[in-house]
Amino acid sequence: MKTPSPFPLSARRTSALLLLTALTWLPGCKESDKGKDDAGPGGGPGETDTTRADLLKATGVCVEKTARQFLEASTALTGAVSRYAAQPDATTRAEARVAFHAAMDVWQVAEVMQVGPAAPRGAAGGAELRDNIYSWPLVSRCAVEEQVVSKSYETAGFPTSLVSRRGLYPLEYLLFHEGEDTACQGTSPIVAQGTWAALSSEERASRKRAYALAVAQDVNQRATQLVKAWAADQDNFANTLATAGSGNTVFPSTQAALNSLSDALFYFEKEGKDLKLARPLGMRECSTDTCPEHLESQFAGRSKANLRANVRGFRLIAEGCGEGYAGTGFDDVLVAAGAEALAQKLRERIAGAEAVFATIEEDDLRQALAQDKPSVRALHDAFKGVTDVLKTELVTVLDLELPQSVEGDND
Amino acid sequence: MTEQAPSSRAERLWKHLLAPRDIAALVAFRVALGGLITVSSIRFLAYGWVDVLFVRPRFHFTYWGFDWVPALPAPWMHAVFAALAVLGVFLSAGLFYRATTVLLFVAFTYVQLVDVSNYLNHYYLVSLLLGLLVFVPAHRAFSVDAWRRPALRSDTLPAWCTLLLRFQVTVVYVFAGLAKLTSDWLLHAQPLSIWLSARTSLPWVGPLLEQRWVAYAAAWSGFLFDTTIVAFLVSRRLRPFAYGVVIVFHAATSVLFPIGMFPFIMVTAALVFFESSWPRRLGARLRGLMRRDAAPSAPVPLAPVSAAPGWKAWVALGAAVAYGGVQLAVPLRTHLYGGNVLWHEQGMRFSWRVMAREKNGSVTFIVRSPTTGREWHVSPNEHLTRLQEREMSVQPDLVLQLARHIARDFEARGHGAVEVRADVRVSLNGRPAEVLVDPNVDLAREVDGLAPKPWILPAPDSPPIRLRPTLRAARAEPL
Repeated sequence: MKTPSPFPLSARRTSALLLLTALTWLPGCKESDKGKDDAGPGGGPGETDTTRADLLKATGVCVEKTARQFLEASTALTGAVSRYAAQPDATTRAEARVAFHAAMDVWQVAEVMQVGPAAPRGAAGGAELRDNIYSWPLVSRCAVEEQVVSKSYETAGFPTSLVSRRGLYPLEYLLFHEGEDTACQGTSPIVAQGTWAALSSEERASRKRAYALAVAQDVNQRATQLVKAWAADQDNFANTLATAGSGNTVFPSTQAALNSLSDALFYFEKEGKDLKLARPLGMRECSTDTCPEHLESQFAGRSKANLRANVRGFRLIAEGCGEGYAGTGFDDVLVAAGAEALAQKLRERIAGAEAVFATIEEDDLRQALAQDKPSVRALHDAFKGVTDVLKTELVTVLDLELPQSVEGDND
Repeated sequence: MTEQAPSSRAERLWKHLLAPRDIAALVAFRVALGGLITVSSIRFLAYGWVDVLFVRPRFHFTYWGFDWVPALPAPWMHAVFAALAVLGVFLSAGLFYRATTVLLFVAFTYVQLVDVSNYLNHYYLVSLLLGLLVFVPAHRAFSVDAWRRPALRSDTLPAWCTLLLRFQVTVVYVFAGLAKLTSDWLLHAQPLSIWLSARTSLPWVGPLLEQRWVAYAAAWSGFLFDTTIVAFLVSRRLRPFAYGVVIVFHAATSVLFPIGMFPFIMVTAALVFFESSWPRRLGARLRGLMRRDAAPSAPVPLAPVSAAPGWKAWVALGAAVAYGGVQLAVPLRTHLYGGNVLWHEQGMRFSWRVMAREKNGSVTFIVRSPTTGREWHVSPNEHLTRLQEREMSVQPDLVLQLARHIARDFEARGHGAVEVRADVRVSLNGRPAEVLVDPNVDLAREVDGLAPKPWILPAPDSPPIRLRPTLRAARAEPL
């Protein structure tokens, strides 16, 4: 005869439940659960996941390729600016300007690819290289003119000075702006103390050339860092992106890496649609009918070219980085997921935005705003057509999250 | 004659409500809830979420009727969370219990009221549980209070204390289950299909997650779990197994989805269904495991109910019934609005629609001066953080709040009274984006309230997106 235990079965069950309860806390430790292979013993990843992984790999290749193109262009730019500084004349200045346009053409493509090292420090793998190369819209003409007076570009601390004093914006001003005026107000020391006005035209031009060379060399240095960060034989961030998943400290999941890519694409909305188009169009932060002073690249007159390059950069990620946009892009992930109609809509909207440029006859948006504002408005609306798809269906179907996401139980 | 005399029924009711129950289970619940609040508050501070969610936003969305609740300056907001962490410890320890529960309820609820865009069902549940604990003397044993004041000590509490908490948890599960009684969830396995196919890189289970049958199995399992789990937890015989299922279910959701403390809160909350002496039995068992000769402690002997309840008890019972009525009515209120709550969101909050939709929107406000005819476009990011914008973009009442804020902002900047219209496009569960808000309505003239909002356009009647299964799964399916 068995001796009845006071709490035999229920206590055992309770102990087992306690153990199970403790197990529920294990997911909370998953951040430290490193070293496991991405694909478990259940087999390789499925078709959709393969395409997501393909997209990450293709994007890494694309960003590295673009970074190398920019390095090449910035090297040529440095050489051209160096020749202009050494032998200033109309020819060397024109060559420097052409080299600037070539570099900016590439950089504006890269603007939509702010993933990893180019991204802000708060982003996954971010090293702020983008802001060091081109800090727009965080720019200040007055700050640049103050450096012309102080000659801080000659100091050892110049590469670590504020980003608004370095990068492609000051270079554009220094190479293209020929006026004697200053944008600084009376509160600026160069106006209050008369030091700007005290510079002779020759001295000011000489300093601008020297400053331009310092900036070009700094940009070239950053471009080298960007290539190094992505190159397979160096820091190999392309591999970090391609191997997202368990064990990857930067992207612990494929989805986290995909979120980083989509974050980069949001450049198209905030900087592209809102800052580069809506503001000059007078649709926001503007008290007059239009605000051309808010246009990007005003000294070189290339606001239209910049936007066109932005569309190209967006399209390279969205559709594919190969010739004629062949290769793996977000549209392929959508097709693999069964969202062919959405993929088609995305492609059509991007192509639509690209097509609008042909309807703007003027070389730059400054003239277009003055002569044919509706054409610029059409470009804005075409950009909105793309960002509407990005912000609604694309992020929904691929379950993309915002950066700094916190917990949620609503969706 | 089967009908009982009213007095007899009342007696039986009171006997049932006042029957003494071992306090141990509620003590365990008190300790666990306090711990969760402390951990949760520390997470908010450590991850910088206090700044992200409460300090950084320049505009806060308010609940209807609570627009007087201010967002405190940064140091005070951090202090509130630090206080919550400390008060959580106090609750676990049973220190200054009455004051602690009141302060916790007030502080925790305040945090929820600061900004609607931070609304989470599980934090609403914590607020409710804290509110109920104010009336449940769960500090009469195993507490610093009971240690300091022997007169307070009691090994039992009346049964109503447990019943109240059980009712609350039942409401959560049942309504969360009923919220899944939709064609999207049950017939199309959405939004689960979207979510699971985005998690295929997970170790072990990842390759399974993009197969269609897995999404359907998960959708139906979730529905059946939520709607039936309470019945199984109530059954004494099935309870341990049911609780095992609770743990497995919430562990799975914790692995798959970024839902933070939700699984832990629900696993803790489900403890209220256990019989009242389970912690003592568990303790005895553990002591026995460590020291085999230890005598197991018996459950507390329960004394019968003696005194008949006075008028205060009837008032308390009335209040409890009213509370229960509100808890049932609030989640059901959405049916008064008709339509698809996942689309129009009227009656969505406080109705336990947990993880019921995947929804994203794009909003542009068009501001027009009627005097000059001048038009501006306002992006939400001029006023909101990205997290706020994401929530606002799909919730019409928040679109309205921001529209009215933009109108006030323009007026303050000297543009006079302006009209504000909204271009709102929303994708629900992967459907093509549709217009959510009538773009012709001047939202600056609309007022928020509980009445139906006629300017919300009807939900799309197309089915949600049907994602493709894997090639492996596709081959297995007949054409």
